[in-house]
Amino acid sequence: MASIFTQLQSFRRNESHETDASVVADSFTSESLILTETIDVYPTNAPYKRKVSPANAEEFNHSSTSRKNLVIMIFLIVSVKWQKELFKDVEIDTSQPPYVFKCQLFDLTGVPPERQKIMVKGGLLKDDADWAKLGVKAGQKLMMMGTADEIMKSPEKGTVFVEDLPEEEQVAAVGHTAGLFNLGNTCYMNSTLQCLHSVPELKSALIDYSHSGRSNDVDQTSHMLTVATRDLFSELDKSVKAVAPMQFWMVLRKKYPQFGQLHNGVFMQQDAEECWTQILYTLSQSLRSPGSSENTDAVKALFGIELNSRIYCQESNEESSETESVYSLKCHISQEVNHLHEGLKHGLKSELEKASAALGRSAIYLKESRINALPRYLTVQFVRFFWKRESNQKAKILRKVDYPLELDVYDLCSDDLKKKLEAPRKFLRDEEGKKLGLKVNEKSSVPKENDVKMSDAEGSSNGGGEPSVAPMEEGEKETQMTGVYDLVAVLTHKGRSADSGHYVGWVKQENGKWIEFDDDNPKPRVQDDITRLSGGGDWHMAYIIMYKARVVSM
Amino acid sequence: MAPEPNRAGNGASTSGTAKDEAAAKKKIESEDLSDEDLALKQQLELYVERVQDTDPGLQKVALESMRQEIRTSTSSMTSVPKPLKFLRPHYGTLKAYYETMVESELKKYLADILSVLALTMSAEGERESLKYRLLGSEGDIGSWGHEYVRNLAGEIAQEYAKRQSEEAPIDDLMELVKQIVAFHMKHNAEPEAVDLLMEVEDLDMLTEHVDKTNFKRTCLYLTSSARYLPGPDDMLVLDIAFSIYLKFEEFPNALQIALFMDNLLHVRTVFTSCHDVLRKKQFCYILARHGITFELDEEMVNDDEEREVLQDIINNSKLSEGYLTLARDIEVMEPKSPEDIYKAHLLDGRASAGASVDSARQNLAATFVNAFVNAGFGQDKLMTVASDSSSSGSSGNWLFKNKEHGKTSAAASLGMILLWDVDSGLAQLDKYFHSNDNHVIAGALLGVGIVNCSIKNDCDPAMALLGDFIDKEDSSTRIGAIMGLGIAYAGSQNEQLRYKLAPILSDPKASLDVIAFTAIALGLIYVGSCNEEVAQAIIFTLMDRSESELGEPLTRLLPLGLGLLYLGKQESVEATAEVSKTFNEKIRKYCDMTLLSCAYAGTGNVLKVQNLLGHCSQHLDKGEMHQGPAVLGIAMVAMAEELGVEMAIRSLEHLLQYGEQNIRRAVPLALGLLCISNPKVNVMDTLSRLSHDTDSEVAMAAVISLGLIGAGTNNARIAGMLRNLSSYYYKDTSLLFCVRIAQGLVHLGKGLLTLNPYHSDRVLLSPTALAGLITMLHACLDMKAIVLGKYHYVLYFLVLAMQPRMLLTVDEDLKPLSVPVRVGQAVDVVGQAGRPKTITGFQTHSTPVLLAAGDRAELATEKYLPISPILEGFVILKDNPDYREE
Repeated sequence: MASIFTQLQSFRRNESHETDASVVADSFTSESLILTETIDVYPTNAPYKRKVSPANAEEFNHSSTSRKNLVIMIFLIVSVKWQKELFKDVEIDTSQPPYVFKCQLFDLTGVPPERQKIMVKGGLLKDDADWAKLGVKAGQKLMMMGTADEIMKSPEKGTVFVEDLPEEEQVAAVGHTAGLFNLGNTCYMNSTLQCLHSVPELKSALIDYSHSGRSNDVDQTSHMLTVATRDLFSELDKSVKAVAPMQFWMVLRKKYPQFGQLHNGVFMQQDAEECWTQILYTLSQSLRSPGSSENTDAVKALFGIELNSRIYCQESNEESSETESVYSLKCHISQEVNHLHEGLKHGLKSELEKASAALGRSAIYLKESRINALPRYLTVQFVRFFWKRESNQKAKILRKVDYPLELDVYDLCSDDLKKKLEAPRKFLRDEEGKKLGLKVNEKSSVPKENDVKMSDAEGSSNGGGEPSVAPMEEGEKETQMTGVYDLVAVLTHKGRSADSGHYVGWVKQENGKWIEFDDDNPKPRVQDDITRLSGGGDWHMAYIIMYKARVVSM
Repeated sequence: MAPEPNRAGNGASTSGTAKDEAAAKKKIESEDLSDEDLALKQQLELYVERVQDTDPGLQKVALESMRQEIRTSTSSMTSVPKPLKFLRPHYGTLKAYYETMVESELKKYLADILSVLALTMSAEGERESLKYRLLGSEGDIGSWGHEYVRNLAGEIAQEYAKRQSEEAPIDDLMELVKQIVAFHMKHNAEPEAVDLLMEVEDLDMLTEHVDKTNFKRTCLYLTSSARYLPGPDDMLVLDIAFSIYLKFEEFPNALQIALFMDNLLHVRTVFTSCHDVLRKKQFCYILARHGITFELDEEMVNDDEEREVLQDIINNSKLSEGYLTLARDIEVMEPKSPEDIYKAHLLDGRASAGASVDSARQNLAATFVNAFVNAGFGQDKLMTVASDSSSSGSSGNWLFKNKEHGKTSAAASLGMILLWDVDSGLAQLDKYFHSNDNHVIAGALLGVGIVNCSIKNDCDPAMALLGDFIDKEDSSTRIGAIMGLGIAYAGSQNEQLRYKLAPILSDPKASLDVIAFTAIALGLIYVGSCNEEVAQAIIFTLMDRSESELGEPLTRLLPLGLGLLYLGKQESVEATAEVSKTFNEKIRKYCDMTLLSCAYAGTGNVLKVQNLLGHCSQHLDKGEMHQGPAVLGIAMVAMAEELGVEMAIRSLEHLLQYGEQNIRRAVPLALGLLCISNPKVNVMDTLSRLSHDTDSEVAMAAVISLGLIGAGTNNARIAGMLRNLSSYYYKDTSLLFCVRIAQGLVHLGKGLLTLNPYHSDRVLLSPTALAGLITMLHACLDMKAIVLGKYHYVLYFLVLAMQPRMLLTVDEDLKPLSVPVRVGQAVDVVGQAGRPKTITGFQTHSTPVLLAAGDRAELATEKYLPISPILEGFVILKDNPDYREE
C-alpha cells in the first residue's frame, strides 16, 4: 500500500495533468456527454491509472478495449464537502471505479482512500461500486468523511480503576478506616475502640505483642482480649466496609462480665468511660514486657499521667505528699466551670476525709495535685454522669464546657516540670513564630538556651523514671514535651443518662481531617463540627477527649 | 310563574335577612329619598298607570317616556339604575297587563320594556328577558346597554341547550345571536362573543364580524380557550382561528396554530398563501425549532435557489452557527472541565481525599458532565484537546480512562460536544471508527447520531455511516448504530430506515437489548405518526417475548417504543390499546399505562389524569410495575398548561405521602418532567427533601430530577444543593454518580440550553423533544439496572430535547443583528381589553439574549419590525418604513 501512496504523491506533484483534465472538463457543460476518442483523453490520465492499480492492469486494459468501441465517456461534475471545506467542480470519470475518484480526493484532501467515507444518498461509496447504479447526478453535493490523523491507539498500560482494586488498596483511596457494626447497644465499645485505634503507637505496640507472646504474669482472658484488640485493629486498617467486632465483643464480655448485662434479653448500654478504662487497664497489663521495669509498660508510657499531690489538713496542719499515676484527668463540672481548663483545675483539687494521726479522728484533708510527668496522649474525662438517687439512674450534666483544639497544661504542672518545659516551649514558640514569618529575637534566646541545658542536665540526672522529659525510647532522643496538646479524638454521648443514648467517636485522621465514626457509618466532618460538641443541648457532647502531645525535636 | 316582587328584590339586595327587617329598611330608604328621586319615582308610577290606560295614544306616550327614562339613566356597575329600581314593584302589574293586551305595536313596545325589567326581576332560570325580547319589537339591541346584552347572551345559551335537547327550532335565537355577536365584536367584548358562539355551536359566524382591530384578541381568546375544550371542538375552534389569521395575513400565528393542530396541510396552506420570501424564511425557522421534517415543493416556493435556502433553514444547518454566535456574545466559549462544575473547593474538605486512583464510575460521570456542559461548543478539556502534543493525544487518554461500556459513552460524548456541527463532528469522530474496540466503535456510531440530531442533510451521513453497522454481530456496536439512527432521524418517518430496522425486531438472533433499542429507535423515527406497520412489528415482538424476558428491565422500552408512535394522538391509540390487552399479564398493564400516557401526552386532558391517578391509588402486592409509567403519565398529560402543572404537583405530593414504594420512586421523575428547565422553588424544595430519602432509588430519582428542573439554568440554589449532596453521598458511588449527572445537567451548555419541549410562548410542543425526555425518564424508572448498569448512554436521549434558549435577531440576509430588547416575565393577556402590557419586570438587553422559563421578549426599538410576533429562537427583523431618527 505504501508504494501506492508514494506513487500517488508523485502524481500529485505532477499537477499539470490534473489541471489539464479539469480544464477539459470545465469547458463542457456539466451534463454534456463528451464524445471523443478515448485516445484523446486517456494520455493525460493513463500513467496515473496504471500506477494506481498495477494489479488490475489487465482488467483496465480489457475495459479500455471495450470502451474503444463505445467511445462515450461521461464526466460528472460534482462538489464534495469535506469538513468545513467545499471542493467545487470535482469531476467524476464514471467509466472508472470509484476508487479512482477517491484517489482524486486524496489529492485534494490528503486523506488516504481507504480512510475516506463518501456518502452518496444514504449509503457509503464502495470502491467497486458502479457509478451508473448509484444515480449520482451532476452538480450533486457529496460529503466525505475521513481524517489523515493518526488512528488513536489504546494506551499500552490500561488505566487501573478503584473498582478493580483489592479491598486493602481501596482503603487508601477512601481516606479513612472502616466503621464498626453495632452488635446491639455496643456503640460505647465501638466509639471507644475507634478512639483508641487512632493511636498509632498503641497499634504498633499491639503488633509487637504477637511476637512476644503471652507471658506468664498475664492471665488467659487478658491475653485473649489483647489478641482480639490486635486483630480487630488490623482488620479495621484493611477493610473498606464496616467490620463486625464479634470476636472482640465476646472476649470483652468474658473478661468483664459486667458488659454482658442483659435487660429484657438485650445487652444493655454501658458507660463508655468504664469500657475505656478497662480496656486500657488490660492492655497495660498485657503489653508489659516480661520481666523488665515498669517504664516499658507501653500503655503507661503513652497515657500515664504522673500526679504529685499535696495532702494538707487545715485543722492539724498535717501535710504529706504522694505520687500517683492515672490514665486520665477528670474535668469536674460545676456551676463555675465553663471551660475545660477550669474543670481540670477543679478536678485536681479535692477534699477527702481520712484519719488524722495528730487529731486521732478523721478529718477533712485538702488534696492538691499537680502534674509531674506528661503523657504522649492526654486523656480527659468530663465527669458528666452522677448517680441520681431519686430517679435511680446515672443522670447527666448537660452543661456546656468548652474545650480547645489546642490545650496548654503548663499551669497544671508541678514546678519541676514547668522548669523542664520552658526550653522546649520557647523552641516551639520560635518555630511557630518562624512559620508566621516573625523574626526571632536572637539575643534574647541565647541566655535561655543556656538555661535549658542546665535543666536538661538536671533532668537526665534524675533518671529515666519520668516519661515526660526523658526520652521515650532510645531512637527518639531529641523529641521533647512542650505541654501543648492537640485534640485528636473525642468520644461523645448523646442522651440523658449513661445507660441510654448513643456514643459516637470523632477521630482526627493523619491527613488532618475529622471523621465521625457512628458505628458502621463513618462520616467526614470539619473542625467546626468538633468544637460544637461541647454540650449545652441535646446534641452529641464530649465525654472523653484525647489530646496528643506536641513535641519538638531540638 | 310570576315571582313576588318583594322576594326577588330582597334576594338581590340582602338575602337571608328577615322579611320585616327588610321592609323596615325599605321604609327608611323611601323616606331617605331625595326630592329629585321622589319626583322620578312618582313620575314612573304615573307612567305605569298610564300604560294601563285604555287610550292607545296615552299608552304610547307613557311607554315612550318610560323607555326614555330607562335608556338615559346612567348605569353603573354596582347599583341598579334608578328607573329600573323604581319600576321593580310594578313589574308584576305590567306583566299581568301585557297578557291582557291585544297584538299591536304597543304590545311589542311593552314587551321590550318588560324584557329590560326582567334583567333585574326575573327569577333564575325563567329566562323572561329573552322571552320578552323575542316577543318585542326587535330594535337595536345595544340601545338598552351592555349589561342587558350580556344577560341576554347568558339566557340564550341556556335556552339553546334546552331547545337542543327538545330538538326545537332555533332560528329566532340565531337571529338574536347574530345581533349580539355583532354588538360584542364592535364593542371590544370579543371573549363574550366567542363564548356565546361556542355555546350555540356556530363559530363560523365569527369570521363575518372580525376586522383588523379585533381579530388578534379574538384569535388569542379562541386559541387559549381551545386548551380547555374537549375534542373535537378544540380542533374546530383552532380551525376558525387559523382561517381568521390567514384572512388577515398573520401567517406566523397561522403557522403556529397549524403546528399545534399537527396539520401539515395547513402548514402547506400557509406557505402557499404567503408570497413574501422573508416571511417564509421565518416560517422555516419556526418549523426548524419545532423539529418536524418538512419538505418544501415547487408549489410552496417557486424559485429553486430560494427553496434551497429555505430548506436549509428547516434542516437546521445554521443552528450551530447561531448557537455559537450567542455563546461568543455571552462570552462563554471557554471550555469548562467537570471540576469547574463540581466546585469541590467550596466544600470544606469533605470530598474524598485520595483521588490518586481513577474510579471508573466517577470518570464516567465526568464524561457525561463534560459532554452536557460543553454541548455544542465544539471544544472541551477532555475529549477535543488538541492531540498535537503526543502521538496518542490526550483525548485518546481520556477515552481510555473509561471502562468497557464506559468508552461507548465517552466516544459518544464527542458527538455531544460537537452537537449540530455535522462537518467537524464527523471529522473528529472519524478516528474512533478505526478502533479495534467494539465499545469505542459503538460510541462513535452513537456520536454520529447525536451530532446529526435535529439536523437534516442531503447526503444523509448518519444513514450512510450507521446503516452498515445495524446488522453487525456485536450487540454493543449494533445498539450504538440503532440508537444513533433513532436520534438522528427522530420524527423523520423515514421509510428506508423502517425497512432496515423493523426486521431486527423479529430477528431471533438479536439479543433483548438490541430489540429494545430498535423499538425505541423506531418509536422515535415514527413519533406521533400512528404508523401501522411499525406498531404491528413491535406488537409481534412483545408477544414473542418469553415470560422471563418480560421481567428484564430493558423490556420496558418495548411498550414505550409503541407508545411513542401515538405520542399526543389521543383516540388513535385505541385500536392498539385493545390489542395490548391480549399481552402477557406481566406486561399488559404496563403497556396499557404507557400507551395511555403517551397518547394523551401534552393534551392536559383532566379525565386521563384522573384515570392515571386511579391506577396509582391501588395498593398492589404482586410486584407489578405499571404504576411507575402511570405516575410519569400524569406529568406527561398535565404538563400542557400552567394550571394543570400546579394541580399535578399537588396530586403528586399526595402520592408521595400515601403511595407505595414503586410510586414514590417515579414521583420525583414526574416532578422533573413537569418543571423541566423551570426551577420552581416549591418543587425544588420537595426534590431536595426527597434527595435524602431513606430509599436510595427515590433519592437517586430526586437527584436526577433536581438536574432536570434546573437543566441549562445555572441555577445557583440547585447547584449549591447538589454540591452539598455530593459531599453527603461522597461514599455512595451510585448516588454520587447521579449527583454528578445532575450537576452536569444544571450547567447544560453552560446555561445556554433548555430541555423544555414547549416553545413559542409555551404553546407548541416539539414531539421529538418530548419523546427524548420520556425515553430517558422511563429508563430512569429502573435506575440501577439501566442508567447505573451498562446502558448509561440512554442519558444521551436528552439531546433530542436540547435547544438553545435564546433570542437571536437576524437581518434580512440572515446575518445576526444586535438590537435592544426588553426581556421580562410573560403576562397572560387573554381576554384583556385594549393593548395590555405583555411583560412585567423587564430589563433591556441587546440581542442575542437568553430567555428563562416564563420569559417573553419584545423589541425595544421602533427601528425594526419583527417578522414573527413570538420573539424566540431565530427572528428575522426588517426595517420599519415608518421609523424616523430622532
